[in-house]
Amino acid sequence: MKLLASPAKMFRVVLWQGVFKWGGLSLAMSSVAWGQDVKSQVASQIESHCMDCHDEDTHKGGLDFNKVALNLGDRKNREKWIRVYDRVKNGEMPPRSQDLGQSERLALLKMLDGLILPTDRTDVAQNGRAPIRRLCRDEYQQNLRDILHLPHLDILAMLPEDREGHRFNKTADMLDMSRVQLDAYLDSADFALRLALGSKDPALERKSKRIVGTDLFPFTETFGQRQAMFFARENRAIEWGPLLKENKNAVADAATDETIEMALFRSASWPYYGVPKGFKAPQDGNYKVRISARAVLQQPGYTFVPAKAPVPMTFRVRKPTGVDIINEVHADGGILDIQPTQQNYETILHFKQGEFLEYSLLGLPMPIAMNPNNAGQVFRYPPFPEGGQPGIAFQWMEVEGPLSEESWPAPSQRVLFDDLGLVPNPEEPKKEAWRLLKRFVQRAAREPVEDEELQRFEALIEIQLSKGESFQEAMLSGYKAFLASSRFVYLREPGGIHDQYAIASRLSHFLTNSRPDAPLVDFARNGRLRDPLILQQEANRLMGSTAFDSFVRLFTDYWLNLRFIRRDDPDIRLYPEYRFDEYLVESMERETRTFFAAMLRENLPVTTLVDSNFVYANDRLAKHYELPALTGATLQKVALPENSPWGGLLTQGAILKVSTDGTRSSPIIRGAWVMERLLGVPPPPPPVSVPAVEPDTRGAKSIRELLALHTKEESCANCHAKFDPVGLALENFDVLGGWRTRYRELGGSDRVKGIDRAGHNFEYALGTAIDAAGTLATGESFHNIHDLKTILLNNPRQLASNLVNQFVIYATGAPIRYSERSELETILDSCKTNGYLCGDLMLAFIKSRIFTGELQPNHYTQTNYESPLHR
Amino acid sequence: MKAPYIANLVSRRRFLQGAGVMLALPFLESFRPLFARAPQGNLPRRLLAISNNLGFVPKTFFPEKGGKDYALSPTLTPFEDIKNELSVFSGMSHPDVKGGHSADNCFLTAARGPAKSGFRNSISLDQYAIEKLGQLTRFPTLNLGVNIDKANRSMSWTRDGALLPAEDSALAVFRRMFLQGDADAMKKRIKALDERSSILDVLLDHTKKLERELGQEDRSRLDQYLTSVREVEERLSTSRTWELREKPGTKFSAPEDIQDKKRIFEKLELMLQMACLAFESDSTRIVTLMVDTFSTPAFNIGEGVITTEGYHGLSHHSQEPAKLRQLEEADKKQMQILANLLRRLMDTQENGHRLLDQTAIVYGTNMGDANRHDNTNLPIIVAGGGMKHGAYHALGSGNEVPLCNLFVSILQSLGIDEDVFGSSKGSLNHLLLA
Repeated sequence: MKLLASPAKMFRVVLWQGVFKWGGLSLAMSSVAWGQDVKSQVASQIESHCMDCHDEDTHKGGLDFNKVALNLGDRKNREKWIRVYDRVKNGEMPPRSQDLGQSERLALLKMLDGLILPTDRTDVAQNGRAPIRRLCRDEYQQNLRDILHLPHLDILAMLPEDREGHRFNKTADMLDMSRVQLDAYLDSADFALRLALGSKDPALERKSKRIVGTDLFPFTETFGQRQAMFFARENRAIEWGPLLKENKNAVADAATDETIEMALFRSASWPYYGVPKGFKAPQDGNYKVRISARAVLQQPGYTFVPAKAPVPMTFRVRKPTGVDIINEVHADGGILDIQPTQQNYETILHFKQGEFLEYSLLGLPMPIAMNPNNAGQVFRYPPFPEGGQPGIAFQWMEVEGPLSEESWPAPSQRVLFDDLGLVPNPEEPKKEAWRLLKRFVQRAAREPVEDEELQRFEALIEIQLSKGESFQEAMLSGYKAFLASSRFVYLREPGGIHDQYAIASRLSHFLTNSRPDAPLVDFARNGRLRDPLILQQEANRLMGSTAFDSFVRLFTDYWLNLRFIRRDDPDIRLYPEYRFDEYLVESMERETRTFFAAMLRENLPVTTLVDSNFVYANDRLAKHYELPALTGATLQKVALPENSPWGGLLTQGAILKVSTDGTRSSPIIRGAWVMERLLGVPPPPPPVSVPAVEPDTRGAKSIRELLALHTKEESCANCHAKFDPVGLALENFDVLGGWRTRYRELGGSDRVKGIDRAGHNFEYALGTAIDAAGTLATGESFHNIHDLKTILLNNPRQLASNLVNQFVIYATGAPIRYSERSELETILDSCKTNGYLCGDLMLAFIKSRIFTGELQPNHYTQTNYESPLHR
Repeated sequence: MKAPYIANLVSRRRFLQGAGVMLALPFLESFRPLFARAPQGNLPRRLLAISNNLGFVPKTFFPEKGGKDYALSPTLTPFEDIKNELSVFSGMSHPDVKGGHSADNCFLTAARGPAKSGFRNSISLDQYAIEKLGQLTRFPTLNLGVNIDKANRSMSWTRDGALLPAEDSALAVFRRMFLQGDADAMKKRIKALDERSSILDVLLDHTKKLERELGQEDRSRLDQYLTSVREVEERLSTSRTWELREKPGTKFSAPEDIQDKKRIFEKLELMLQMACLAFESDSTRIVTLMVDTFSTPAFNIGEGVITTEGYHGLSHHSQEPAKLRQLEEADKKQMQILANLLRRLMDTQENGHRLLDQTAIVYGTNMGDANRHDNTNLPIIVAGGGMKHGAYHALGSGNEVPLCNLFVSILQSLGIDEDVFGSSKGSLNHLLLA
């Protein structure tokens, strides 16, 4: 320990110790003596190594040790000390590492750990690792869907979007309650209950309609004129002109002509109105749609021949509005790959009353409407590809529905009124109300609810009945109240060894965003969920179920920002080939979700985040990733050629798209994105202290020069060196993840011209060659993406650690606690031998005490606990 | 078939007409339904607070010299003919509200340390005002947004730090204000309100019981729930009263929502129209509006011209002239829109007074200089509200005067007898009172 001479500094020591002594009082009595001794030592270490920069005069980074009491019982203070611990441990502080020798550093760390660990552990044992957590809106919707047997219930728009914390919308601290939120719960519960009530037996409404001939499309040609769509007979467009001269009803008369085919050669995008005539859903429900169709190639002169490859299509369900309002259209029923030989296809679509369906061919051109403000529209259909323009010829369509439930009353109605029928009018309303309420709550609640608690809801029903409300309405009031009650909308921490229901809920909300299903509740009731084998078996069961899709969607929506996949359109001035390429974006999104689901379900190594020798691709992605041609929209697992830059989540189109803004890829933003989300090293926030840096990059002509300017200013360089380089290695990928070797620019001499897939002229210039070489903060250098991947593959534990950290936040609503760090290491250790397989990591986390909660509060005390970090 | 709407340069005429809105300039009288209290002597006082969360380019925003006879800066030229209707401020900030973009939720709250872990926001100016004023109108406040990330950003926060989500659909605002259901629908809603009241009683009771079983931290979460129940309850009786009253009529037809984030300035104009309609029909007296430029991609900046990158990217201009040019253009466009708004409120009369004089307007930002994430020296414009205007008040280099001093004066202009709000240390009455 250094001795201090300056009187000013002496004064500071005294002051500072004064603070910590006051803070120390809150430590447990038995450890006071030990604690005080350690605290004095920590204090003098801090004094000699840190106070030069972190006192009341300088307080670099906003840290003034005079103001940070060594009172570890206080959560906020503890968090500050944990940051101190981390920065010292990582060698970031003191900035010149020689200022704190290795043995002194370890000693300081050990002392800090000895102070932080027991207090944090006690805090977790006493208060749980996080407070009770409100359901996020996705969970609320999924719970209601499952409770009420309403798989298509859509109430997201009625619930406020939840705030993001640590990148997820499941973070306890962020899930506040407000009057707006409470009103929204009540409104959406009311909506859901009334939907569950249903109306008539759909079987009575069930109808079947066959659509042929000119009824297959609303007009005889569409936006884009005849290249985009025509009716054909014997592979040739019908000339309506002469026919209409003879018979002005010729088109209408052909509505029953089964020899006519409707041939469509464009994507469904504005302006478009590709709906068959004569069908509108008479009521909400599922409908079966059957079509007969074949894939064709249009030739000049409005004829066609059988296609060489299938053409993918889907149906969109839309509201009865005008030509196209994109928000009112949604894809449904999956993708059909229409083959060159005529075949029948069948799909199930869900309609709301009054909605109808629309053909949506994927990956086809989109004719441009030119000069649309003036009279007389002119369209330009882009040039055909070699061999002809792919499209689909339809022969007939049948729509049947609504498909009835297997039983009547429907399951959703039975949840509400058992077998009492739609308008129950029981002889003993009080008795029946109690029975039905109990039955409903048993189903909706995630654990047994005592009669005394239920009586409050019963009282409500009685009040409503006494006001003259019908039995039906009064019951709905009771149900509604329960669905908005704090019992229902909050999830709690598992509290102690006997608390099995909270574990069941945590597991089901983690893996399915919903309440525990019957088998899981049974295990909870029988007290089996602390048995690691049972827990693992149940987790495996849920991971294998379709309900797990909900986890994959929501987890990747937030962790990887996939919910923003459509946020930025590619700048079509620079990337005309991506104009209106919704099919590519849709395929990329599906690819990443499919890939991530496979990582878990097929138990792939965590290194597949960075690299893999396969990709999931379809016809469009094969083109994008420069693979041998594939047919069909369905994703197939295909091996990558040697030396392909693709493979691994890191270089997937979706990842490269959401980590940039559509115009220019920024290595800075992409680098920070990858470091934070995939490697778990978030960039520190930009400097907030005075004097702030005034970024000035005037004169930088290339991204390289720009980055060089970053490193000139020391306060920028320290942080940017940590994330810019990773972004550099990704520079060979454009804003949608396509490969490039030169930048594109608007000005410039090396110009490229043409007509894009939407009929627009384009012209851009090829700029400087891309240089993807760089050096990481660790000193490792790379020339390109291959090298970077090799470097990242060397540290699978870091990837695994980050993935588990993400699971922890998503599943428990709070990031890993200091006192759980050793548990994290244990999880990682247990998965090490097999090479950190993703499914293993998930299961190991589920079996850990981070997930199941602390078993024995206060088990660890100062004297018997040795931190594994310093073993 | 309708052609895609192509943005025109902002013109005063278009602002008055609006997208899909028709007829002549409305006067308050045209909104006045039979039942409304005729304002007698005590005219309603109003507030419109707007924030652009990336701010403005300081160099072209701030005039060179302070005082009454200041020369307008390049960004402020749209106010040439109405310079005396507004006050321009520099040198104010929220103390300890640092942390770059995380400060945008604190513009009306001044809650300290938004970038720190465990940060909780505090009550926003609009909500505070309503606590003091009571619910005098059909909607106590309207909280609007343009291009806003509704999950994570808002001007409006409850006392216990919960976000009140912004409305970003002009059509929805319009419908809430003017769409009248039939008698049956009204009866149904009244019944629903009564049912809700009974439900709330049960929820309150039930949660209080549950709370006793919980630890301290969990209890504080449940306290939020209890507060929410009480607040919904309080609002129910007001809602009931208003439900029984006919909604005001309007000569305007329902607006068409603009989905495209590129058309940020048209969206801003449209939302300000809704704010004007709300004031003119006395549907509310307090409107907040966040222009979430942070969430705005490359946007329309003139006829057929789209910026070279997203608003956030531009705001980190690093002094590059091409970026600065576009930003300055965007700043000026907002000032044109604000100037048009002021003119409209000047032209609208309420019982012989200009509506502008009854309406305090703040157009500001949490960002002093987005290029370096600086939250000091905030550019602020204040207009209307019966305050004294016409000067540029250069109050220092950035940290001297809390922005809440202005908010105290604003509260007083609303008739609220308070001399403290947030981090205030006084008021700006000495500058703003005639």
